[in-house]
Amino acid sequence: MEAVIAMVIMVLVFGIAMMIYTNVTRLSLSVRKIRAQAILQEFLYQTAKKSSKDNQHIQVDEFEIEQKVSPFGPGTGLIQIELTAFGENHQQLAQLQQIISDANEAH
Amino acid sequence: MLKASSLYMVIIIALVISLICSALISAAYFYRAQYQLHFQYDRLMNNCNSGIQILLNNGDSSYREPQALSLSGNPTDSIILQKYPWGIFDIGVIKTFSHRDTLWRVFSIANQIDSSKWSSVYLIDEDRPLSLSGKTSICGDARLPKAGVKTAYLDNQSYTGNEHLVKGHIFDSDRQLPPLAGPRLELIRRLFRQPEETGRRPAPSGGTTRSFRLSTRVIRLDDLTTLQNASFSGNLILYSDTTLTIDSTVSLQDVIVVAKSIQVKSGFHGHCQLYATDSLSVGSDCHFTYPSCLALFRSTAGVTDLPGRISLGEHSHVEGLIFTYEKQTGKLPPIIRLAKNTMVSGQIYSQGSLSLKEGVNIQGGVMTSRFLYASSITLYENYLVNTRIDLTTLSRYYLSSPLSPSAGATQHILQWLK
Repeated sequence: MEAVIAMVIMVLVFGIAMMIYTNVTRLSLSVRKIRAQAILQEFLYQTAKKSSKDNQHIQVDEFEIEQKVSPFGPGTGLIQIELTAFGENHQQLAQLQQIISDANEAH
Repeated sequence: MLKASSLYMVIIIALVISLICSALISAAYFYRAQYQLHFQYDRLMNNCNSGIQILLNNGDSSYREPQALSLSGNPTDSIILQKYPWGIFDIGVIKTFSHRDTLWRVFSIANQIDSSKWSSVYLIDEDRPLSLSGKTSICGDARLPKAGVKTAYLDNQSYTGNEHLVKGHIFDSDRQLPPLAGPRLELIRRLFRQPEETGRRPAPSGGTTRSFRLSTRVIRLDDLTTLQNASFSGNLILYSDTTLTIDSTVSLQDVIVVAKSIQVKSGFHGHCQLYATDSLSVGSDCHFTYPSCLALFRSTAGVTDLPGRISLGEHSHVEGLIFTYEKQTGKLPPIIRLAKNTMVSGQIYSQGSLSLKEGVNIQGGVMTSRFLYASSITLYENYLVNTRIDLTTLSRYYLSSPLSPSAGATQHILQWLK
Protein backbone atom coordinates (compact mmCIF):
# COMPACT_ATOMS: atom_id res chain seq x y z
CA MET A 1 0.00 0.00 0.00
CA GLU A 2 2.76 2.38 0.93
CA ALA A 3 4.59 1.67 -2.30
CA VAL A 4 1.46 2.49 -4.29
CA ILE A 5 1.03 5.80 -2.46
CA ALA A 6 4.70 6.56 -3.02
CA MET A 7 4.34 5.83 -6.70
CA VAL A 8 1.23 8.00 -7.02
CA ILE A 9 2.97 10.88 -5.26
CA MET A 10 5.98 10.47 -7.53
CA VAL A 11 3.80 10.55 -10.62
CA LEU A 12 1.94 13.63 -9.38
CA VAL A 13 5.11 15.45 -8.41
CA PHE A 14 6.78 14.67 -11.72
CA GLY A 15 3.63 15.61 -13.60
CA ILE A 16 3.37 18.99 -11.88
CA ALA A 17 7.12 19.57 -12.32
CA MET A 18 6.89 18.86 -16.03
CA MET A 19 3.91 21.21 -16.37
CA ILE A 20 5.81 23.98 -14.60
CA TYR A 21 8.92 23.39 -16.72
CA THR A 22 6.91 23.41 -19.95
CA ASN A 23 5.06 26.59 -19.04
CA VAL A 24 8.19 28.42 -17.94
CA THR A 25 10.00 27.40 -21.11
CA ARG A 26 7.05 28.30 -23.32
CA LEU A 27 6.42 31.68 -21.71
CA SER A 28 10.06 32.66 -21.32
CA LEU A 29 11.57 35.26 -23.62
CA SER A 30 12.51 34.31 -27.07
CA VAL A 31 16.19 34.72 -27.80
CA ARG A 32 15.24 35.50 -31.38
CA LYS A 33 13.08 38.44 -30.30
CA ILE A 34 15.88 39.87 -28.19
CA ARG A 35 18.30 39.41 -31.05
CA ALA A 36 15.87 41.04 -33.49
CA GLN A 37 15.51 44.01 -31.15
CA ALA A 38 19.28 44.40 -30.91
CA ILE A 39 19.65 44.17 -34.69
CA LEU A 40 17.04 46.89 -35.15
CA GLN A 41 18.89 49.19 -32.75
CA GLU A 42 22.11 48.65 -34.67
CA PHE A 43 20.32 49.12 -37.97
CA LEU A 44 18.81 52.39 -36.79
CA TYR A 45 22.21 53.64 -35.68
CA GLN A 46 23.67 52.84 -39.09
CA THR A 47 20.72 54.38 -40.94
CA ALA A 48 21.07 57.65 -39.04
CA LYS A 49 24.61 57.98 -40.38
CA LYS A 50 23.61 57.32 -43.99
CA SER A 51 22.83 60.17 -46.33
CA SER A 52 19.90 58.48 -48.10
CA LYS A 53 17.02 57.13 -46.07
CA ASP A 54 14.28 55.43 -48.10
CA ASN A 55 11.67 52.75 -47.66
CA GLN A 56 13.34 49.37 -48.08
CA HIS A 57 13.38 45.66 -47.22
CA ILE A 58 16.64 44.13 -46.07
CA GLN A 59 17.53 40.60 -45.02
CA VAL A 60 19.84 40.46 -42.01
CA ASP A 61 20.71 36.89 -41.02
CA GLU A 62 17.41 35.09 -40.57
CA PHE A 63 15.43 38.32 -40.12
CA GLU A 64 13.69 40.38 -42.73
CA ILE A 65 13.84 44.07 -41.81
CA GLU A 66 11.32 46.52 -43.17
CA GLN A 67 12.17 50.21 -43.09
CA LYS A 68 9.42 52.81 -43.49
CA VAL A 69 10.35 56.47 -43.73
CA SER A 70 7.91 59.37 -43.47
CA PRO A 71 8.47 63.12 -42.99
CA PHE A 72 7.90 64.44 -39.48
CA GLY A 73 6.13 67.77 -39.68
CA PRO A 74 6.52 70.23 -42.53
CA GLY A 75 9.85 72.01 -42.89
CA THR A 76 11.42 70.49 -39.79
CA GLY A 77 14.15 68.60 -41.63
CA LEU A 78 13.17 65.52 -39.65
CA ILE A 79 11.95 62.10 -40.68
CA GLN A 80 10.17 59.40 -38.74
CA ILE A 81 11.74 56.03 -39.30
CA GLU A 82 9.94 52.81 -38.41
CA LEU A 83 11.83 49.53 -38.40
CA THR A 84 10.13 46.15 -38.11
CA ALA A 85 11.88 42.80 -37.90
CA PHE A 86 10.05 39.72 -39.23
CA GLY A 87 10.96 36.09 -38.69
CA GLU A 88 9.77 32.98 -40.45
CA ASN A 89 6.22 33.04 -41.82
CA HIS A 90 6.38 36.85 -41.72
CA GLN A 91 5.90 36.77 -37.96
CA GLN A 92 6.64 40.16 -36.38
CA LEU A 93 9.42 39.86 -33.83
CA ALA A 94 10.33 43.43 -32.93
CA GLN A 95 9.50 46.99 -33.86
CA LEU A 96 11.25 50.27 -33.28
CA GLN A 97 10.54 53.84 -34.30
CA GLN A 98 12.44 57.04 -33.91
CA ILE A 99 12.64 60.56 -35.31
CA ILE A 100 15.97 61.40 -36.84
CA SER A 101 17.45 64.25 -38.77
CA ASP A 102 17.25 63.96 -42.53
CA ALA A 103 20.80 65.29 -42.79
CA ASN A 104 23.84 63.12 -42.36
CA GLU A 105 25.11 63.00 -38.75
CA ALA A 106 28.61 64.21 -39.35
CA HIS A 107 29.59 66.03 -36.18
CA MET B 1 11.26 -1.44 6.40
CA LEU B 2 11.74 -1.01 2.67
CA LYS B 3 8.16 0.17 2.18
CA ALA B 4 8.40 2.81 4.90
CA SER B 5 11.68 4.22 3.59
CA SER B 6 10.30 4.45 0.05
CA LEU B 7 7.61 6.89 1.21
CA TYR B 8 10.19 8.99 3.00
CA MET B 9 12.39 8.97 -0.07
CA VAL B 10 9.47 10.04 -2.24
CA ILE B 11 8.71 12.95 0.06
CA ILE B 12 12.35 14.01 0.01
CA ILE B 13 12.47 13.72 -3.81
CA ALA B 14 9.22 15.70 -4.05
CA LEU B 15 10.73 18.41 -1.86
CA VAL B 16 13.85 18.57 -4.01
CA ILE B 17 11.77 18.76 -7.19
CA SER B 18 9.56 21.50 -5.70
CA LEU B 19 12.68 23.46 -4.78
CA ILE B 20 14.02 23.12 -8.33
CA CYS B 21 10.62 24.17 -9.73
CA SER B 22 10.41 27.23 -7.49
CA ALA B 23 13.98 28.20 -8.47
CA LEU B 24 13.00 27.83 -12.11
CA ILE B 25 9.91 30.01 -11.68
CA SER B 26 11.91 32.66 -9.76
CA ALA B 27 14.66 32.73 -12.39
CA ALA B 28 12.10 33.09 -15.19
CA TYR B 29 10.30 35.84 -13.27
CA PHE B 30 13.44 37.88 -12.61
CA TYR B 31 14.73 37.37 -16.14
CA ARG B 32 11.45 38.61 -17.59
CA ALA B 33 11.34 41.55 -15.19
CA GLN B 34 14.86 42.56 -16.15
CA TYR B 35 14.10 42.21 -19.83
CA GLN B 36 10.97 44.34 -19.52
CA LEU B 37 12.97 46.97 -17.67
CA HIS B 38 15.61 46.93 -20.38
CA PHE B 39 13.01 46.99 -23.16
CA GLN B 40 11.19 49.88 -21.53
CA TYR B 41 14.46 51.77 -21.09
CA ASP B 42 15.36 51.21 -24.75
CA ARG B 43 11.98 52.52 -25.86
CA LEU B 44 12.22 55.57 -23.61
CA MET B 45 15.75 56.20 -24.89
CA ASN B 46 14.50 56.05 -28.47
CA ASN B 47 11.82 58.56 -27.61
CA CYS B 48 14.43 60.73 -25.90
CA ASN B 49 16.61 60.61 -28.99
CA SER B 50 13.59 61.59 -31.08
CA GLY B 51 13.00 64.53 -28.74
CA ILE B 52 16.65 65.57 -28.97
CA GLN B 53 16.43 65.63 -32.77
CA ILE B 54 13.19 67.65 -32.66
CA LEU B 55 14.75 70.25 -30.35
CA LEU B 56 18.04 70.43 -32.23
CA ASN B 57 16.21 71.02 -35.51
CA ASN B 58 13.90 73.64 -34.01
CA GLY B 59 14.92 77.19 -34.76
CA ASP B 60 11.97 79.16 -33.43
CA SER B 61 10.36 79.68 -30.03
CA SER B 62 7.59 77.09 -30.46
CA TYR B 63 8.93 74.99 -27.56
CA ARG B 64 9.51 77.91 -25.17
CA GLU B 65 6.72 76.44 -23.01
CA PRO B 66 6.59 72.65 -22.40
CA GLN B 67 4.76 70.84 -25.18
CA ALA B 68 3.53 67.27 -25.09
CA LEU B 69 3.89 65.14 -28.18
CA SER B 70 2.63 61.66 -28.82
CA LEU B 71 5.01 59.97 -31.21
CA SER B 72 3.17 57.90 -33.80
CA GLY B 73 -0.13 58.57 -32.03
CA ASN B 74 0.55 55.87 -29.48
CA PRO B 75 -0.31 57.09 -25.95
CA THR B 76 2.55 55.05 -24.49
CA ASP B 77 5.06 56.98 -26.57
CA SER B 78 4.56 60.39 -25.02
CA ILE B 79 7.23 63.01 -24.61
CA ILE B 80 7.24 66.54 -23.24
CA LEU B 81 9.67 68.95 -24.88
CA GLN B 82 10.89 72.36 -23.84
CA LYS B 83 13.58 74.66 -25.18
CA TYR B 84 14.33 77.93 -23.46
CA PRO B 85 17.15 80.47 -23.71
CA TRP B 86 19.98 80.43 -21.19
CA GLY B 87 22.13 83.47 -21.83
CA ILE B 88 24.06 82.92 -25.02
CA PHE B 89 22.93 79.29 -25.27
CA ASP B 90 19.66 77.35 -25.19
CA ILE B 91 18.54 74.65 -22.79
CA GLY B 92 16.63 71.60 -23.99
CA VAL B 93 14.49 69.60 -21.55
CA ILE B 94 12.97 66.26 -22.52
CA LYS B 95 10.68 64.18 -20.38
CA THR B 96 9.58 60.88 -21.83
CA PHE B 97 7.32 58.52 -19.96
CA SER B 98 5.53 55.26 -20.33
CA HIS B 99 3.19 54.10 -17.56
CA ARG B 100 5.14 54.75 -14.35
CA ASP B 101 8.59 54.92 -15.93
CA THR B 102 10.01 58.33 -16.72
CA LEU B 103 13.26 59.38 -18.31
CA TRP B 104 14.65 62.93 -18.29
CA ARG B 105 17.30 64.48 -20.44
CA VAL B 106 18.49 68.04 -19.94
CA PHE B 107 21.19 69.59 -22.07
CA SER B 108 22.46 72.88 -23.39
CA ILE B 109 22.42 73.58 -27.12
CA ALA B 110 24.92 75.48 -29.23
CA ASN B 111 25.72 75.91 -32.91
CA GLN B 112 28.40 74.45 -35.06
CA ILE B 113 30.88 76.96 -36.45
CA ASP B 114 30.26 78.08 -40.02
CA SER B 115 33.69 77.64 -41.60
CA SER B 116 32.90 80.19 -44.33
CA LYS B 117 32.50 82.94 -41.70
CA TRP B 118 35.18 81.69 -39.34
CA SER B 119 38.54 83.43 -39.15
CA SER B 120 41.41 83.77 -36.73
CA VAL B 121 41.35 87.57 -36.96
CA TYR B 122 38.64 89.90 -38.20
CA LEU B 123 39.87 93.47 -38.08
CA ILE B 124 37.62 96.11 -39.60
CA ASP B 125 38.97 98.18 -42.46
CA GLU B 126 39.99 101.66 -41.31
CA ASP B 127 42.49 102.15 -44.15
CA ARG B 128 45.51 101.14 -42.12
CA PRO B 129 47.37 97.86 -41.88
CA LEU B 130 47.82 95.43 -39.05
CA SER B 131 51.41 95.50 -37.79
CA LEU B 132 53.18 92.57 -36.18
CA SER B 133 56.19 92.72 -33.92
CA GLY B 134 58.17 90.30 -31.77
CA LYS B 135 57.29 86.62 -31.84
CA THR B 136 53.73 87.05 -33.07
CA SER B 137 51.92 84.36 -34.98
CA ILE B 138 48.52 84.26 -36.65
CA CYS B 139 47.37 80.81 -37.79
CA GLY B 140 44.20 80.35 -39.78
CA ASP B 141 42.36 82.42 -42.35
CA ALA B 142 42.17 86.13 -41.53
CA ARG B 143 39.94 88.97 -42.61
CA LEU B 144 42.05 92.11 -42.60
CA PRO B 145 41.92 95.68 -43.94
CA LYS B 146 42.85 96.13 -47.58
CA ALA B 147 46.09 97.78 -46.40
CA GLY B 148 47.10 94.27 -45.33
CA VAL B 149 49.55 93.10 -42.73
CA LYS B 150 53.19 94.15 -42.25
CA THR B 151 56.03 93.76 -39.82
CA ALA B 152 57.05 96.52 -37.43
CA TYR B 153 59.88 97.42 -35.08
CA LEU B 154 58.42 98.23 -31.69
CA ASP B 155 59.80 98.42 -28.16
CA ASN B 156 63.26 97.45 -29.43
CA GLN B 157 61.79 94.32 -30.99
CA SER B 158 61.63 93.39 -34.61
CA TYR B 159 59.31 90.77 -35.99
CA THR B 160 60.74 87.28 -35.38
CA GLY B 161 57.75 85.13 -36.27
CA ASN B 162 57.06 82.99 -39.30
CA GLU B 163 57.96 84.39 -42.72
CA HIS B 164 54.30 84.01 -43.67
CA LEU B 165 52.81 86.67 -41.48
CA VAL B 166 49.46 84.90 -41.59
CA LYS B 167 49.41 81.12 -41.97
CA GLY B 168 46.24 80.95 -44.00
CA HIS B 169 44.29 82.91 -46.56
CA ILE B 170 43.82 86.63 -46.14
CA PHE B 171 40.44 88.07 -47.11
CA ASP B 172 39.33 91.68 -47.11
CA SER B 173 37.31 92.83 -44.15
CA ASP B 174 34.45 95.31 -44.17
CA ARG B 175 34.30 98.67 -42.49
CA GLN B 176 31.92 97.28 -39.90
CA LEU B 177 32.09 94.18 -37.77
CA PRO B 178 29.62 91.44 -38.69
CA PRO B 179 26.67 92.08 -36.35
CA LEU B 180 25.77 89.87 -33.41
CA ALA B 181 22.49 88.01 -33.80
CA GLY B 182 19.64 90.43 -33.01
CA PRO B 183 17.12 87.94 -31.54
CA ARG B 184 19.73 86.59 -29.13
CA LEU B 185 20.72 90.12 -28.08
CA GLU B 186 17.07 90.77 -27.26
CA LEU B 187 16.98 87.64 -25.08
CA ILE B 188 20.15 88.77 -23.28
CA ARG B 189 18.68 92.25 -22.80
CA ARG B 190 15.78 90.65 -20.91
CA LEU B 191 18.25 89.27 -18.36
CA PHE B 192 18.88 92.81 -17.19
CA ARG B 193 15.24 93.45 -16.38
CA GLN B 194 14.72 93.98 -12.68
CA PRO B 195 13.29 90.78 -11.17
CA GLU B 196 9.87 90.95 -9.52
CA GLU B 197 9.75 92.08 -5.93
CA THR B 198 6.85 89.95 -4.74
CA GLY B 199 7.34 86.64 -3.03
CA ARG B 200 11.08 86.61 -3.29
CA ARG B 201 13.19 84.88 -0.72
CA PRO B 202 16.42 86.27 0.76
CA ALA B 203 19.59 85.30 -1.07
CA PRO B 204 21.09 82.12 0.38
CA SER B 205 24.56 83.23 1.44
CA GLY B 206 25.90 79.66 1.39
CA GLY B 207 24.69 79.01 -2.13
CA THR B 208 22.09 76.78 -3.70
CA THR B 209 21.51 74.32 -6.50
CA ARG B 210 18.59 74.21 -8.89
CA SER B 211 17.81 71.72 -11.60
CA PHE B 212 17.26 72.89 -15.17
CA ARG B 213 14.06 70.81 -15.18
CA LEU B 214 12.50 73.40 -12.88
CA SER B 215 11.69 77.02 -13.64
CA THR B 216 14.57 79.48 -13.41
CA ARG B 217 15.13 80.98 -10.00
CA VAL B 218 16.29 84.60 -9.90
CA ILE B 219 18.22 85.49 -6.75
CA ARG B 220 18.46 89.17 -5.97
CA LEU B 221 21.65 90.04 -4.17
CA ASP B 222 20.42 93.30 -2.67
CA ASP B 223 22.55 93.51 0.43
CA LEU B 224 25.12 91.00 -0.66
CA THR B 225 27.83 92.85 -2.56
CA THR B 226 30.47 90.18 -2.04
CA LEU B 227 29.98 86.49 -2.66
CA GLN B 228 32.32 84.23 -0.73
CA ASN B 229 32.36 80.66 0.56
CA ALA B 230 29.27 79.85 -1.46
CA SER B 231 28.35 77.38 -4.15
CA PHE B 232 25.74 78.17 -6.81
CA SER B 233 24.96 75.73 -9.56
CA GLY B 234 22.27 75.06 -12.10
CA ASN B 235 19.24 77.03 -13.16
CA LEU B 236 19.99 80.22 -11.23
CA ILE B 237 20.32 83.86 -12.20
CA LEU B 238 22.17 85.94 -9.63
CA TYR B 239 21.06 89.53 -10.05
CA SER B 240 22.66 92.60 -8.55
CA ASP B 241 21.98 96.21 -9.42
CA THR B 242 25.32 97.37 -8.10
CA THR B 243 28.92 96.17 -8.07
CA LEU B 244 29.27 92.50 -7.24
CA THR B 245 32.52 90.94 -6.06
CA ILE B 246 32.99 87.22 -6.54
CA ASP B 247 35.62 85.72 -4.30
CA SER B 248 37.84 82.80 -5.32
CA THR B 249 36.13 80.68 -2.65
CA VAL B 250 32.86 80.83 -4.63
CA SER B 251 31.88 77.96 -6.87
CA LEU B 252 29.73 78.89 -9.87
CA GLN B 253 28.55 76.08 -12.16
CA ASP B 254 26.35 76.86 -15.17
CA VAL B 255 24.74 79.88 -13.49
CA ILE B 256 24.17 83.34 -14.95
CA VAL B 257 25.36 86.41 -13.06
CA VAL B 258 23.95 89.81 -14.00
CA ALA B 259 25.21 92.97 -12.37
CA LYS B 260 26.13 96.57 -13.04
CA SER B 261 29.78 95.75 -12.44
CA ILE B 262 31.39 92.42 -11.66
CA GLN B 263 34.76 91.89 -10.04
CA VAL B 264 36.15 88.36 -9.93
CA LYS B 265 38.92 87.83 -7.41
CA SER B 266 42.18 86.12 -8.32
CA GLY B 267 42.23 82.35 -8.31
CA PHE B 268 38.57 81.80 -9.20
CA HIS B 269 37.63 78.57 -10.98
CA GLY B 270 34.24 77.75 -12.49
CA HIS B 271 32.06 77.86 -15.55
CA CYS B 272 29.32 80.43 -15.78
CA GLN B 273 28.04 83.39 -17.78
CA LEU B 274 28.83 86.84 -16.41
CA TYR B 275 26.97 89.86 -17.80
CA ALA B 276 27.78 93.41 -16.74
CA THR B 277 26.70 96.81 -17.98
CA ASP B 278 29.65 98.92 -16.82
CA SER B 279 32.71 96.80 -16.18
CA LEU B 280 33.80 93.22 -15.71
CA SER B 281 37.13 92.68 -14.07
CA VAL B 282 38.74 89.26 -13.68
CA GLY B 283 41.77 88.87 -11.42
CA SER B 284 44.89 86.86 -12.11
CA ASP B 285 45.11 83.05 -12.29
CA CYS B 286 41.39 82.65 -12.85
CA HIS B 287 40.09 79.79 -14.96
CA PHE B 288 36.68 79.89 -16.62
CA THR B 289 36.13 76.45 -18.07
CA TYR B 290 34.12 75.74 -21.19
CA PRO B 291 31.41 76.84 -21.80
CA SER B 292 31.74 80.23 -20.14
CA CYS B 293 30.85 83.73 -21.23
CA LEU B 294 32.10 87.14 -20.14
CA ALA B 295 29.99 89.93 -21.56
CA LEU B 296 29.67 93.66 -21.37
CA PHE B 297 26.20 94.55 -22.54
CA ARG B 298 24.67 97.99 -22.88
CA SER B 299 21.29 98.22 -24.50
CA THR B 300 21.02 101.91 -23.61
CA ALA B 301 23.51 104.73 -23.77
CA GLY B 302 26.00 104.70 -20.92
CA VAL B 303 25.11 106.90 -17.97
CA THR B 304 28.71 107.96 -17.55
CA ASP B 305 31.27 108.84 -20.18
CA LEU B 306 33.50 106.02 -18.99
CA PRO B 307 33.92 103.27 -21.54
CA GLY B 308 32.65 99.80 -20.79
CA ARG B 309 35.52 97.49 -19.94
CA ILE B 310 36.29 93.80 -19.63
CA SER B 311 39.70 93.03 -18.19
CA LEU B 312 41.47 89.73 -17.62
CA GLY B 313 44.29 89.45 -15.12
CA GLU B 314 47.64 87.77 -15.74
CA HIS B 315 47.70 84.02 -16.35
CA SER B 316 43.93 83.83 -16.48
CA HIS B 317 42.29 81.41 -18.86
CA VAL B 318 38.80 81.73 -20.38
CA GLU B 319 37.23 78.96 -22.44
CA GLY B 320 34.21 80.26 -24.30
CA LEU B 321 33.06 83.65 -25.52
CA ILE B 322 34.07 87.16 -24.48
CA PHE B 323 32.08 89.95 -26.07
CA THR B 324 31.16 93.60 -25.73
CA TYR B 325 28.00 95.10 -27.12
CA GLU B 326 26.70 98.64 -27.07
CA LYS B 327 23.44 99.42 -28.82
CA GLN B 328 24.31 103.09 -29.11
CA THR B 329 28.00 103.64 -29.57
CA GLY B 330 29.26 106.20 -27.09
CA LYS B 331 32.15 108.61 -27.39
CA LEU B 332 34.49 106.03 -25.94
CA PRO B 333 33.96 102.55 -27.31
CA PRO B 334 34.02 99.54 -24.98
CA ILE B 335 37.36 97.85 -24.49
CA ILE B 336 38.55 94.35 -23.70
CA ARG B 337 41.94 94.20 -21.97
CA LEU B 338 43.93 90.99 -21.78
CA ALA B 339 46.90 91.12 -19.42
CA LYS B 340 50.22 89.32 -19.86
CA ASN B 341 50.13 85.57 -20.48
CA THR B 342 46.36 85.31 -20.53
CA MET B 343 44.78 82.61 -22.61
CA VAL B 344 41.42 82.53 -24.36
CA SER B 345 40.15 79.32 -25.94
CA GLY B 346 37.15 80.31 -27.98
CA GLN B 347 35.99 83.60 -29.40
CA ILE B 348 36.48 87.28 -28.68
CA TYR B 349 34.07 89.79 -30.15
CA SER B 350 35.06 93.32 -29.31
CA GLN B 351 32.78 95.97 -30.70
CA GLY B 352 35.32 98.57 -29.64
CA SER B 353 39.00 97.93 -28.93
CA LEU B 354 40.95 94.87 -27.90
CA SER B 355 44.03 95.61 -25.85
CA LEU B 356 46.58 92.79 -25.76
CA LYS B 357 49.69 92.58 -23.64
CA GLU B 358 52.67 90.43 -24.48
CA GLY B 359 52.30 86.70 -24.17
CA VAL B 360 48.57 86.58 -24.87
CA ASN B 361 47.54 83.28 -26.41
CA ILE B 362 44.21 83.06 -28.22
CA GLN B 363 43.14 79.61 -29.39
CA GLY B 364 40.26 80.54 -31.62
CA GLY B 365 39.04 83.66 -33.34
CA VAL B 366 39.07 87.39 -32.67
CA MET B 367 36.73 90.00 -34.10
CA THR B 368 37.54 93.55 -33.24
CA SER B 369 37.36 97.10 -34.51
CA ARG B 370 40.83 97.90 -33.30
CA PHE B 371 43.83 96.28 -31.62
CA LEU B 372 45.62 98.26 -28.95
CA TYR B 373 49.09 97.74 -27.60
CA ALA B 374 50.27 99.88 -24.72
CA SER B 375 53.99 100.21 -24.07
CA SER B 376 55.26 102.05 -21.02
CA ILE B 377 54.81 105.42 -22.66
CA THR B 378 52.88 104.99 -25.89
CA LEU B 379 49.61 103.50 -27.07
CA TYR B 380 49.79 101.85 -30.47
CA GLU B 381 46.75 101.05 -32.57
CA ASN B 382 46.54 97.86 -34.65
CA TYR B 383 49.84 96.47 -33.41
CA LEU B 384 50.32 92.94 -32.13
CA VAL B 385 53.43 92.21 -30.08
CA ASN B 386 54.42 88.72 -28.92
CA THR B 387 50.87 87.51 -29.36
CA ARG B 388 49.69 84.17 -30.63
CA ILE B 389 46.30 83.83 -32.34
CA ASP B 390 45.78 80.30 -33.55
CA LEU B 391 42.52 79.05 -34.96
CA THR B 392 43.84 75.56 -35.61
CA THR B 393 44.47 74.75 -31.96
CA LEU B 394 40.83 75.23 -31.00
CA SER B 395 39.11 71.93 -30.26
CA ARG B 396 37.21 70.52 -33.23
CA TYR B 397 34.32 69.93 -30.85
CA TYR B 398 34.05 73.62 -29.99
CA LEU B 399 30.52 74.91 -30.42
CA SER B 400 29.60 78.54 -30.72
CA SER B 401 26.72 80.54 -29.36
CA PRO B 402 24.01 81.47 -31.88
CA LEU B 403 24.86 85.05 -30.90
CA SER B 404 28.18 84.90 -32.73
CA PRO B 405 28.39 85.96 -36.40
CA SER B 406 30.44 82.79 -37.02
CA ALA B 407 27.67 80.46 -35.82
CA GLY B 408 26.29 78.05 -38.38
CA ALA B 409 22.71 76.83 -38.62
CA THR B 410 23.34 73.31 -37.31
CA GLN B 411 22.72 72.88 -33.61
CA HIS B 412 24.35 70.30 -31.37
CA ILE B 413 24.30 69.24 -27.77
CA LEU B 414 26.81 71.35 -25.88
CA GLN B 415 26.66 69.86 -22.41
CA TRP B 416 24.53 67.40 -20.44
CA LEU B 417 22.95 69.07 -17.45
CA LYS B 418 21.02 68.00 -14.38
